[in-house]
Amino acid sequence: MSLDFLAGFTIFMLALIMVVSMVPGLLAGLESSGIDYDAVAYRTGVILVEDPGWPVYPPWEMNDLAHKGEIERIGLAVSKETPNILLSTKVKKFFEEGFFDQSDYRNKAIFGDIPYSYNISLNISHPDGSYELKRTGDPLPPGYGYIRRVVKIKEPAVAVIGSDSRYNDTTLNSSILRTFTVQLNFNELLDPERGPAYRIDPRTEPVNVTITDFGAYLPANDEATLQSVTFWKMDPTRPIPQFTRIPFSYDTEDSDLYILLLDEESCNLKPEKEVANTISLVLKPAATSLFTLDQNSILDIRFVFDDSPDPQRTTLNGTYLYDYDNVPLSPLKPGVLEVAIW
Amino acid sequence: MACMNEDGQWIVLMGLLTALGLFFLALIINQSALVGQTTAEGVLEFPKNDIRDLRSEIFDVYDSYGTLHAQGRLGDVEEDIIRISLERKNAVVHFGNDTPQDVSGRDLHPVTIHYNNGVTEYDEIVYY
Amino acid sequence: MVNDSGQLYTMEGVAAGVIMLLTAYIVISTTSIYTPGDTHIPDMQLEQLGSDVLAMMDTPDREGGTSQLVGFVKNGTETCGGNDLRNEFLTNCKMRAGDEDTKLRAQVYLSYRRTDGTVNTTPLSLPDPEFTGRENAVRVTRWVQLDGILPGIPDIEHSSRPRAVLVEVLLWRA
Repeated sequence: MSLDFLAGFTIFMLALIMVVSMVPGLLAGLESSGIDYDAVAYRTGVILVEDPGWPVYPPWEMNDLAHKGEIERIGLAVSKETPNILLSTKVKKFFEEGFFDQSDYRNKAIFGDIPYSYNISLNISHPDGSYELKRTGDPLPPGYGYIRRVVKIKEPAVAVIGSDSRYNDTTLNSSILRTFTVQLNFNELLDPERGPAYRIDPRTEPVNVTITDFGAYLPANDEATLQSVTFWKMDPTRPIPQFTRIPFSYDTEDSDLYILLLDEESCNLKPEKEVANTISLVLKPAATSLFTLDQNSILDIRFVFDDSPDPQRTTLNGTYLYDYDNVPLSPLKPGVLEVAIW
Repeated sequence: MACMNEDGQWIVLMGLLTALGLFFLALIINQSALVGQTTAEGVLEFPKNDIRDLRSEIFDVYDSYGTLHAQGRLGDVEEDIIRISLERKNAVVHFGNDTPQDVSGRDLHPVTIHYNNGVTEYDEIVYY
Repeated sequence: MVNDSGQLYTMEGVAAGVIMLLTAYIVISTTSIYTPGDTHIPDMQLEQLGSDVLAMMDTPDREGGTSQLVGFVKNGTETCGGNDLRNEFLTNCKMRAGDEDTKLRAQVYLSYRRTDGTVNTTPLSLPDPEFTGRENAVRVTRWVQLDGILPGIPDIEHSSRPRAVLVEVLLWRA
C-alpha cells in the first residue's frame, strides 16, 4: 500500500470518528423513557375520572360476570357533566376482586396496542380520619408514568327510620294487616334542576331502607311477623293511574338484586318471620332495572306485617316518602386516584 | 488523465453511505421527538380546566340571575369576569343570555360563551 | 509511481470526510432545535393536580351548601383564612396512597376588580420564606363568587356588592 492510500484512509476515518461522536449528542434529549408512559397514565386518569363509562344507561357497572363483554369503556364519574366526582357503586365494581381481569383493564380503561403494566389505586378519606385504600395491578417498578387526580366520591343515600309517630298507627283495628310503604317518586328524585352530584338515582345507586327501632312499633309484644316485601309501580301519565304489583322472583334470595336483613339475618322477600329490632332492605340497581321504570314512575316498596289469625302485634303503618326531605344525602368524600403505567 | 486510477472511489462511497444513514437517523429522531412533546405540551396548551371553570362560574352567575338582576348587579359581576380574565388569564371572554326557550318541558336560557386566549378559541351556546 | 494519480486516495478521503461532516452538521442543526419533551411532564402533572384540588375544594359536600374555598376566601387575610386555604390546598395535594408527598409548596393570591376598572392582585397567604421566584412553579386558578363585605382583603372597596374574584395558586415542588 502506498502513502497516498494511508493518508486518504486516515482522513476518512478521522471524519467518520468525528461524525459518530456527534450522534449520541443527537440522541441525548430522547433518553427519557417516561415520555410515553406519562401520557398513557394521563389519558387513563382522564377516562377514569371524567367519564361515566359506556354504556351509560343501563350503566356498565350493572353488568354481571356473564355480561362483562358488553362493557366497552370503564369510567367512574357520576356523569359527564361532573368531572372528578365518582360514583361509589362504579368504584366498588372497578376494584371488585375477580370481576375485571388484566386484559379488561387494558382494553377498557388504558387502551392502546401495547400491553402496559399498571397500578391503579384510590385512597378514600373517611370523615372519621381513617383512610380506605383500594388498589389493583402490579407492584411499582422504578421509572413509571404517573398521574394523580383528586376526586370526591358520591355514596348512596340511606333512609334511616327510627321511632316516628307518623308511622306509628295505634288506632288501627287489630285484625287489619299492617302495611308500611316506602314510596319513591322518580319524577321528583330525577328532577333535572338538581345536579347529578347531589341526586338520588335508584337506577344507578342502591336504595337503602333501614328501620332501626322496630321495637318502638311493638307496643305490647316483643316481635311481629313480617309476611312479605313487595314492589308496586304506578305510571301517573297513564289515563287511569293505579299501582300494579311488579312480577319479581320474591322467594329467591339473590344478593346481586337485593339484601333483606331481619335482625341482622338475611332472608328472601317472603320471610314470614318474626322480627324484633331492625329491618334493613338494600335494593340494588340491577333489580330496579328489571322493574322497567321511567322518569315518571312511582315505585312502592310495601312491607306487610301479618300475625293473623292472632291480633296484629305491630303498629307500624303508613307511607314513608323516599325523597330529598326525608332521606339525607351522604356528604361527598374526598379521595385520590393514582394511575401508574409502565 | 485518461488512465486515472479509480481504485479510491470506494472511500467516497463509504462517506455517502454514512451520510445517508445519518439522514435517516435524523428523520426517525425527529418523528420520535414529536411524541413526548405533543402529549404533555398539548395538555398544557389546551386550557381545559380554565374553560370548565369559566363555564361553571358563568352558570353560577345565572343561578343567582334573579337576585343579581333585581339588585342591578349583573353587569358588575360580568365586568369582573371579563376584566380579570383579560388581566390575569390573558383571555378574551364574553358571555350573555337570551330570552328563555322551552326545551323539552323546561324553560331554559340560551347562554352564549366565548373564550379566546390566543391559542385556543372556544364558543358555546348552552341551554341553562 | 510518480504520475498525477498519486494523490487520488487522499482526494477521495477528503471528499468523503467533507460529505459526512456536512451531513452531520446539517442533521444536528435541524434536529437540536426542539426542547426535550419531558420537561413539560412535571408541569402537566402539577397543573392537573392543582386544578383538581381547587375544583374539589369549590364543590360543596352537600346540595346548596357553601364550598370550602368560598369560606376561606370570605374570611380573608385578617383571620388568616388565606393560610388556612393554603394548608387545606396542600393537604389535598399531598394526599396519596402510602406516605404523603411532602415536597409541595404553594402560595395563594386573589385577583379582584376595583370600581375604577383596575384589577388588583393581592397575596392571600403569608409568603413562603423559601420562595425565591426561580422555582419551576405552575399557576392554577379558580373563579369564586362572593357576596357581602370582605374585611380582610386590602384595597377592596367595602361595598357589599356581589362580585366574581379569581383565586390564584402558585404551586411548586421544593
